[in-house]
Amino acid sequence: MLGVECFPLNFLYRPFYWSYRSSGSLWYWLRRRFTLPGLCVAGGWLVAASFGVDIVNTVIYQSFALLFAFLIFSFACSFFFPAKFSASRLLPRFGTAGQPLPYQVVVKNLTAQKQAGLTLLDDLADPRPPFAEWLAFQLAESRRIRPFRVSQRRERNPFRRATLKPAEIPPLPAKGEGTVSLELVPLRRGLLKFVGVTVARPDPLGLFRSFRKVPAPQTVLILPKRYPLPPLALPGQLKYQEGGVALAANVGQSEEFVALRDYRHGDPLRHIHWRSWAKTGKPIVKEFEDEFFVRHALVLDTFSDAPHSELLEEAVSVAASFACTVLTQESLLDLLFVGNQSYCFTAGRGLGQVDQMLEILASVQNCADKKFDVLEHLVLRHLSVVSGCICVLQRWDGARRKFVDQLKSLGVPVMVLVIVRPGEGISGAGGMLVNAQGALHVLEIGRIGEELSRLK
Amino acid sequence: MKTPPLLLFAALLFWGWLSGLLLVGALAGLGLAAARIFKWRWELEDVDFNRIWSFCVLVVVVLVGYVFTTNEQAVGLAGMVRGASVHNSNPDALNTIAVLRWLPLTFYPLLAAQSYNFRPSVPLTAISLVLRWRRRRGDHAFEGRFLDVSYPYFILCLFSAGIHANRATQSYFWGLCVLILWALWVLRSRRFGVKAWVLAFAVAVGLGFIGQLGINGAATFVQNFNAQWLARLFRHQTDVAQSVTSIGQIGNLKLSPRIVIRLEPKQVGVVPAYLREASYRKYSSTLRSQTWYAGGTLNDFNSITPEPDNTSWVLLPGKTGTAAVSIACYLNGRSSDGDPEGVLPLPSGCCRLENLPNLSSVITLQTNHTGVVLVTGSGLLIFDARYGPGATTDSVPDVNSTNHFDLAVPANEIPALQQVIAELKITGTNDADKILAVESFFLGKFSYSTWQGPEKRATTNASPLTRFLLTSRSGHCEYFATATVLLLRQLGIPARYAVGYAVHETSGSGYVVRERDAHAWCLAWNRETKVWDDFDTTPGSWVAIEGRQSAFADWLSDARSWIGFQISKLRWRQAHLRQYILWTLTPVLAVLVYYTNYVNSLVEVGVGR
Repeated sequence: MLGVECFPLNFLYRPFYWSYRSSGSLWYWLRRRFTLPGLCVAGGWLVAASFGVDIVNTVIYQSFALLFAFLIFSFACSFFFPAKFSASRLLPRFGTAGQPLPYQVVVKNLTAQKQAGLTLLDDLADPRPPFAEWLAFQLAESRRIRPFRVSQRRERNPFRRATLKPAEIPPLPAKGEGTVSLELVPLRRGLLKFVGVTVARPDPLGLFRSFRKVPAPQTVLILPKRYPLPPLALPGQLKYQEGGVALAANVGQSEEFVALRDYRHGDPLRHIHWRSWAKTGKPIVKEFEDEFFVRHALVLDTFSDAPHSELLEEAVSVAASFACTVLTQESLLDLLFVGNQSYCFTAGRGLGQVDQMLEILASVQNCADKKFDVLEHLVLRHLSVVSGCICVLQRWDGARRKFVDQLKSLGVPVMVLVIVRPGEGISGAGGMLVNAQGALHVLEIGRIGEELSRLK
Repeated sequence: MKTPPLLLFAALLFWGWLSGLLLVGALAGLGLAAARIFKWRWELEDVDFNRIWSFCVLVVVVLVGYVFTTNEQAVGLAGMVRGASVHNSNPDALNTIAVLRWLPLTFYPLLAAQSYNFRPSVPLTAISLVLRWRRRRGDHAFEGRFLDVSYPYFILCLFSAGIHANRATQSYFWGLCVLILWALWVLRSRRFGVKAWVLAFAVAVGLGFIGQLGINGAATFVQNFNAQWLARLFRHQTDVAQSVTSIGQIGNLKLSPRIVIRLEPKQVGVVPAYLREASYRKYSSTLRSQTWYAGGTLNDFNSITPEPDNTSWVLLPGKTGTAAVSIACYLNGRSSDGDPEGVLPLPSGCCRLENLPNLSSVITLQTNHTGVVLVTGSGLLIFDARYGPGATTDSVPDVNSTNHFDLAVPANEIPALQQVIAELKITGTNDADKILAVESFFLGKFSYSTWQGPEKRATTNASPLTRFLLTSRSGHCEYFATATVLLLRQLGIPARYAVGYAVHETSGSGYVVRERDAHAWCLAWNRETKVWDDFDTTPGSWVAIEGRQSAFADWLSDARSWIGFQISKLRWRQAHLRQYILWTLTPVLAVLVYYTNYVNSLVEVGVGR
């Protein structure tokens, strides 16, 4: 790619985008329409077409004619499939990226004939992005990778949402139904959309499929991939939390309080218990129990110019791993990140469950239009109530180094995890750096699980 | 997806039968089939498959290099595009396509390794260098993914079985049907019964049979449509039957600076002045064209057989020649069989051709009574021509027959010729005086010009030649040559019109001849020596004038010609490439083998274990 970011020249990428879409459509059509033997026959036909031109010194043209006849016959048979079906999908509520997700589809035969030898293909929504998103990814890749380096690691198709294999439908009696077990492997977190189900019937030669599509829109939320963490001694001590757990939550109004008393000048208006005032005719306020407990900040770096960046995905996975570990302990966890705006979600000790935190992490998007100091300000505003910080960063540059140094200078225990691509490393703090107030861990993509398991 | 039992054995047997390697195919097939009987297995790891794949690829590379350097007529892609350019019985053609035919054996080790391995599949990283590099850089995405190569190998066997000459039999087609039926039978859908499946297969086979008959017929029709005229559009070539001149045409005569012939004299300073391609005897002058004709037919050609060494050809028995020159020229025409064909440009008095291997460079070599040497063979010929004064391959003048071609003058040109003869005031009656007078006449009163004005056009009153002789007295070589021939004939001296090239431009230690060096001159019969002498009356300034008209970027054209010449030498096996490749490639391959199989295995061990 040229790597040109000047907006007026973006139109130069349009042909490449069209090529990406058309080749994607063609490959999708080939994979679904042709069976595996059919793909072999089609491939053999192309090879025969290339080498069969010389009919004097080879007889490859005979195989060309034969294979072409097979393909034409199979294609012609695909027009005769007068059957009707209905389908309903039994999906779990959540899945996890990288983990197989089994589910079932109930297919009903609406015809008066028995139907056998059918295959079920579940239809996911088109994952291909619009031009702007595709271009942003290409430009980010071109900045990262030198041209013509085939051996340099490229991000695999980031827009692909899941892998899904066809499944055989058991013989369906007339007007009867059957259950098909399928398994998909989500590749990315987020909302996975299904648009329908396709019932396929191969031709008599078993090369080409006829389709009957059944609309069945549905969604499932794919949670981020998580890594197992060893028991960790997270940084931080018990800290005074005014108002206790009830006031620790960032959203909503907690009803938990220990007593009611008369209003005193200076009490915050939000503590007024309106129901009691209505009964008694005078202002009554709620009294909360102050507590000491541990509260961690999980800071997630979402600043990336590449949508669907592998660094961001792994950062979210690492954050999710910590969320699952911390929330099983007797502490609160504040998830801090920047998307369209600054977000802070608190969970733990009855305020929120792991699932809710993971649902939020499943929807985190990259932030390309703001600078890192927005996150820095967000974290600094919360520092007064947190015992320690767990920072999951996508790179180790000047802004991030300054941020961590600031946290340390304020006496906040910090654990820093920097995600890097294989072979890249970071400069200025190679390997593991331990100081009195925290540690810096470099996690290389592809070995993150192994490196997290070595944390202490 | 694994192949059914014995399918690969049958495929290898099929390939061996059609390739003439039945025993080899049978043994190879048995080796694979035995894996289903014997349960003994190897424990091959990824690094072992890497080595096996690298070995197979290296064998293919060596085979390609060897075949490329041994083969002529390049029946690779170029040959296939051009069509039937190689005879089926030509052993060199079979060698050329041996690479494709031997593919099942070159990749046999990989399949054997898979068949006898405890895990019957090949790691994906073994087959792809790119995936190997990526794994070394930490990308483990393709780790743990394997591929069963039995079906791809089956397809390879079917493909290679078709790489043999078309013997107008259907054995390949029916064998293909049987094997594909076998392969598809085990994969058929259970939705359809056996009868429906068999019927569908029979219909498809019937359509395929009709299709391949149609393809055969269509290809034969296209080849017989005479592709020769297509080739002639692209390169100049001499017609042995006639020479259509530019006499009477209006405009500036300009030929290309493209190099067409390269010469290397065997003796320093001894180089022929002219290279003759053909000569003509009958002149026809009409309002529309002025054309010289050979005055014979193609039946006048006689084939010449080579000497016992198969590289020498005697044109004039008994004459050894006093000089020799190495000539490199192209054959720009096409024979009826589609092979390159053309006329050799040879020095006057050429008696023998050497270093012209029979069969590999020359298919047929013929001569006729007007000194034409017609060759069918390689597109580029490099040979030695021995020549010297004395006898030539031309026949003696035809003066006594009813045609008396060598003295014939068109009636419409006679008045102008007589007027010129009167002007010559020839005093003697011997031929030498007459020739001297004609030479002086043209030298003193005529000039060379490539520009033809409207006055040169033929009219009902005067032919272009008449206007040249009497009025303009300026023209190019065809005018001078034609006028000289007709004048000599009118004076009673047999003469012929010759076409070829003038040699004058040096290039390094040799000479180059360009298209613009194409020349016409007169052959005058010497009654004393009984030979045809070259008699050129075109002013010597023509060389300089033609050279002045050359484009300023001649050097670019020369560079392109040189590159084309080197490529043609490779293509037509005129370069000593094989020994160069053997000397340079062998150490490179040895280093590659060492690096791939020993250094890489150490890296793999360090990374993987």
